[in-house]
This record gives sequence, C-alpha cells and structure tokens, in this order.
Amino acid sequence: MRSILKRVAAAAIAAITPIVLLSGCDKSEEYGKDVMRLRWVTYGMSVPADVKKIVKAANDYSAEKIGVVVDLEIQQSEVINLIMASWEYYDMVYTCEWLNPFNTNAAKGLYYDITDLIETETPDLYRIIGDYWEAGELNGRIYGVPTLKDMGAEMMFRFNADYYEGEKGMVIPEFMRFEDLEPYLEVYKKDFPAKYPMAMSKGGIAGFFFSLESVVGSLIVIPYNRETPEIIPIWEDEEIMDRLRLLHKWYTLGYINPDASALELSALPDDMPVRFGVAWRGYSGYSNPADWGFNVKTSIYDGPYISKNTEQGAMTAICAGCDEEHAKAALRYIELLNTDRKFRDIFAYGIEGEHYRYLNNGTVLRTQDGIDRYHVSLYPFGSVVNASVESVSEDYLSDPDQWAKVFDGYEKYGIYSGSEGFVYDRTRKEDIVTTVTAIWSNYSTDLSTGTSDPDVIMPKMKAEMESAGLNELLDDIRSQFAGHLESIS
Amino acid sequence: MAKRSHGSLSASARKERRQLNIMTLPAVIWYGLFCYLPLFGIAFAFKDFTPVPGRSLFENLFINSPWVGLRNFSYLFRNPLSRSVILNTLFYNSIFIVAGIVVSVSLAILLSEVHQKKFRALVQMTLVLPYFISWVVIAYCVYAFLSTDLGLINHILTALGADPVQWYQSPESWRGILIVLEIWKTTGYTMIIYLCSITNIDRTLYEAAALDGATFLQRVRFITLPQLRPTIATLFILSIGSIMSSDFGLFYQVPMDSGALQEVTQTLDVYVYKSLMYEANFSYSSAAAFLQSSVGCILLVISNIITRRIDKDSALI
Repeated sequence: MRSILKRVAAAAIAAITPIVLLSGCDKSEEYGKDVMRLRWVTYGMSVPADVKKIVKAANDYSAEKIGVVVDLEIQQSEVINLIMASWEYYDMVYTCEWLNPFNTNAAKGLYYDITDLIETETPDLYRIIGDYWEAGELNGRIYGVPTLKDMGAEMMFRFNADYYEGEKGMVIPEFMRFEDLEPYLEVYKKDFPAKYPMAMSKGGIAGFFFSLESVVGSLIVIPYNRETPEIIPIWEDEEIMDRLRLLHKWYTLGYINPDASALELSALPDDMPVRFGVAWRGYSGYSNPADWGFNVKTSIYDGPYISKNTEQGAMTAICAGCDEEHAKAALRYIELLNTDRKFRDIFAYGIEGEHYRYLNNGTVLRTQDGIDRYHVSLYPFGSVVNASVESVSEDYLSDPDQWAKVFDGYEKYGIYSGSEGFVYDRTRKEDIVTTVTAIWSNYSTDLSTGTSDPDVIMPKMKAEMESAGLNELLDDIRSQFAGHLESIS
Repeated sequence: MAKRSHGSLSASARKERRQLNIMTLPAVIWYGLFCYLPLFGIAFAFKDFTPVPGRSLFENLFINSPWVGLRNFSYLFRNPLSRSVILNTLFYNSIFIVAGIVVSVSLAILLSEVHQKKFRALVQMTLVLPYFISWVVIAYCVYAFLSTDLGLINHILTALGADPVQWYQSPESWRGILIVLEIWKTTGYTMIIYLCSITNIDRTLYEAAALDGATFLQRVRFITLPQLRPTIATLFILSIGSIMSSDFGLFYQVPMDSGALQEVTQTLDVYVYKSLMYEANFSYSSAAAFLQSSVGCILLVISNIITRRIDKDSALI
C-alpha cells in the first residue's frame, strides 16, 4: 500500500515540477532580469478576446522604452472592490469616484503617497497633468494620477435624425433645455401610440443627477448654480425637482414604458427615437448610423459641469504596500501612457493593421477584427487625451484635435463647482451613510424613471431618512465643509 | 469504560468501525475547513477592518484593525424600516416553514397512494423540476406574466374588460405571489424526503388497519403522520435555524428590485445587499451574518428543547 502511495506521489511531483519550472521561466526570463513586472488591475465589463496579444505588444514596447512590463487584469467593479477590501497585492489599480472609491480608500491608506516622487521621477507626467493633480489629492497629499479625458459632465439627447428632421421636419438644435424635449416625445407618441419614445431601464437617464455635485451619492449634493456653495439633500434643489416632476408627467402620458423601474438595460428596444448620453462637444461615438440603423444627431441640454468629482472620473493609484522601486516603475509606466501616443494606441485600439488603421486626417478607424476582438473603452487604460481620436467610419470623420477644443470649451463654458475640492470624510458617520444610501436606493429608481410622483415620494423618503439620522449626518458634512473652506481661505 | 468496550470489540467489528470512520473523513475535513476554520472571521463583525495591502489576513484583522464593539451592527437598526425588514424575514420564513410542511406532507401522502408507477414518476418529476430552475430565470418568466403592457395576465384582464394592473407597483399582491412561488419551487424537493419516509413505513401496519376497516383519513391520522413525526421534526428544527436568512433570488430578483414593492419584499439579506452594494465592507456584512446566525442558532436550540419535551425521539440533540 505504501509503495503504491509513494509511486503515485512521485508521478505527481514529476508531472507538476516541469510545469512549475516552465511557468516560472515564462514570466521572469522573457524580458530579462532588469525589467520590472507590475500587476495592473483595471476596470472592464468583459475581457476582449485578443487582450493577451495586445499586452504582449505593449510589453515588448515598454520593456525597451522604460524597462517595465505589466500583467494586465481587466476586472469587473465587484472584483476590484473585493481586491481592495481583501488587502490583495497589486501595483497599479483603476480608481475613480464611483468604483474602488478614491476618496474613501485613499483616506483608509490603501494607496501609495506619490507626492514626493512625481516631480522628480516623472517630470513630464507632472507637467502634463497640471492643475488636474487636485483630483488625486487628499489632505494635501497626492495618492492618484488623474486620467486626462473629458473632465466635465456634459449631458445630451441623442435623436433619430431621420425621423425628426427627415420625416417630421423638426429641427434638432445644437443646444436645448431639458423641458424642450416634450414636443419630440409627443409627436412620436401620436405616430406610434403603442411605443414609448423615451423607453428606459431602471438605470434611468444617463447622467440625470450630474447637474449636482455629489457629496453622498446623488442624495446629498452641492448645486453648481448657487452663489454660495451649500450642502443640501436632493429634494431642496428646485431645478432637479422640476425635472423629476416633468419625468413623472411624461411617465403618466405614456412616453416612458410603465415597467421602466423593473427593467434591465438589455430589455430596451433598438428603435427608440430618443436616447441620452454623457460625453463632450464633438464626440462622434453616438453618431454611426451603422450602429443604430438611422442617422443620429445629438443636442446638449446641460453642462459641462466641472468639479473634483467629475475630474475623478478615472484615475490610477499605486498600492500602499509597494516598495519604492515598484512605485517608481508604476509612475514611469503611467507617464509613458500619457506621453507616448504610439504606446497609448496599443491599449486603446490594439495592433495597427490588425485591429485598427490610421486615416488620412490622423484619426483611427477600427477594423472588423478590432471591433470583434479588442473593443475596449479608453478611460480604464490611462490618458484618453494622449490616444489618437477615433472616427466611427470613413464618412464620419472625427476632429483629430478635438481635445484641445474640449478643454478650451471647459475654459469658456464650464460651470465650475464652488466646493473647492471638498471631500467628505464619512468615517465618523459611516453607519448613517450606509442607512440613508439604502433608503435612497429604495426610491431612486422610481424617481429617476418617472414612475413615482416626487412630491409624494420625497416627503416620505425625507421622513425615513430623518429618523435614520440624516440631520446628524448633514450637520457633520456641513461642519467639515465649513472647516474645509476656512482652511483654504 | 469506553476503553473496555472498545477492547471488547472483535477484530472484524474494529475493522468495520475503522472503515466507517474513514468514510466520514471527507465530511469531517470539509466541515473543519469550510465551517469551523473560518469561524475566526466572526472577529470582522467587531472590528473596524482596515487592511494594509500586502500584509497577512491575521495581521490585518487582529493587529491593524481596532476593536469597535457593536458599532458595526448599528446600521442594521438605524433604518426606520429595520423593523419591517426583520418582520418580513420572520413572516415569510414562518409561512414557508408551515406551508412547506403542510403542502409537502400532503402531496407526499397523496402521491404514496398513487400506484401507477409511470404516472407517479411523472408527477414526482413535475413537482421537483422547479427546484432546479434559477430564480433569475423564474424572475423573467414571472415578468412575462406580470408585465404591465406585455404581460399575459394583463392581456387576459383587458380582454375581460378590466383595467390592466401595474403589478410591479402594487405591493398588496406581492406577499401572495412570493409565497406561491416559494412553495411552487421548493415543495417538490421536500416532498421527496417525506415520500421516502412514507415508503419506509412498515406496510403491515396499513394492512392491519385496512382489515380493521380504517378509512384513508384514519390511516393517515393514526399511522402515516405519527410515523412521519421524526422527519417533520428534523426538517422543522433545521429550517428554524435559518429563520433570519432568506432566499436573495426570491426577494430581490423576482420583484426586480422595484422600489414600490420594498415594504413587502425587503428581507434582511436584501437590505444588507442594498446597503453594502457600493462598497465591500467586510465588517458590516459580517455583523449582519453574525446576527442571522446567532438568532438562528438560539431559535434552533429553543425549538429543539421544546421538541424534546414533546417527543424525545424527534429531537435532534
């Protein structure tokens, strides 16, 4: 019996050893011992088929340029949150305001303090990020590298232009007010009584609450449009209340589908004449007729709103457990993503000739292979501004210099927050925050889909939240805010 | 004493005992690894868990994280809806336990009277099948019935001249819907357990009763139910242990997290999920799990004591 066991054990060890040795070879010797390997965890809903090929191409490039390569992991939000909560080691991680929440986790000490390294180790990165370093700051120290992209929130309607302009002779202007949407909904409902011009899922309208600066979710906010910045619960902002009332009116008129608050995104019809989006002036990603089956025209109805919150839309942080060598290597890697367009385009679009090609005007067009096998959003992979601009087709060319115009637009039309980069430290009132967030989640879907009357729901929700300690929470936030304003004045 | 009795065992009996012990080993190891070893995690519920990346779990939990007493439990009771959340959990579980026993036992008794093998197998399979369907799938099947504009039920109502109902905005209907769905899904499975117990009842008891002229109901009352009592007691006591837990799929997926239905669909598990879905707060979720397990454990012990007083043989311990 023992001899059989010994034989089995020997055979198992013999089988496993070469695998272990070979797998070791793969990582440590491919680029030589001097090349630093980093674990980079970033966000994505799915992993594209050709990701290994792209990482190999990027590693070949960065190994030669800066002596750093990465093991890239594209993870969903729940997994990233779990990695953070379970003290797992990584080198670079995606963080933002809404996923792996930067302010909370930086306050917990989960990220490396890069304040003293960036200017000396990566002067180009320091210069390029410029004023936006504020987004990566907490209590005067820098813990995250902001991703340069659209730094403000600009909300727009996306119309079926063939129907509205072609068939109905209506004009789709470049700018509208939210309430100006009503005639467009009315005319479609008259033509197609059984359909819903503004069909939506439980997610509601994209960016609906972005007209308020978030302090605790969409519940406790700072309105942009007040002379003196003020912390208020959402029901005290008349503008958003009017929009919620309008949504409810549209719901009762049958412009919104009756089960919107119960539906997942995938259940929506393709032929909706009105959709919503959050992007920037000149963005052409919504406009490809091949995607929708009709021409799409956008009309901006709000923004661009700019605050620390919107600037924290995407960032990269370095693990607090890293040694200085790894932190420096990670910064060099982020710098390369911000300064080298050829390198940046690999993560953005894949391999030139296979996944994309350059058009004459300098923009990029994805190939069918690129669309099928490596179609990722740009923002989880570092600077969007440094990547080439994508055109949706050869007929719909984007402006290769769009970013200069977008940032210029922020200077000219931006609606800036008066909160001076305030971040609420919720540690003392975390139980109240958790409770009011749970109460908000009971009502927010019905409100943002127009299902419920805000004048009925808000007082009910307010009463529940007040008995859960909302006023205590508001007092704490307001006193921290006053302290913050005092400290910077 | 134990030594002597062990010593008095014959060689073959000892061998048999050893073999039985070895057979239990996988289960013992499994329970040790997955049920007893993780018990140290209870500490999460009383700690402000602040891990340092790259350090070990023990260092992070026991050295880096401070004790905070019962602070992690407070979010469970701050919500004015907490009372209704806990009552919902207890209400549904009580109904499920009682209805589960009544319906399953009744079906098992009726099925045991069916002597046509193929028909019996067909009924058995039909009743057990829902147990293996995921709640997500069931949620969409229910939506096909209850959708306001596309649902089957509203089509029928409209055809009959009645107004369509916005089911996902009508909390008054959902207690019944959830109870029916739970019974529909789980009854078949528990029925199999009762059916097995009925099959094991000595048939001569029924033959003797038939000779004495006992009716069907008398046979059920005086033979089947008393014989089933230990099985019913076991399943009852075990389900009491999880009376504070609820099936997340049933209470979150099926009502599609509709805000208007929260008053009747929100149970403790759903509340905890909704409270913590944006952040992986281990301490808060451990506090909720600890509360559920503690209450379940206490109720389990109490129900076991009561059962033992009523019928010693039916108690678990």
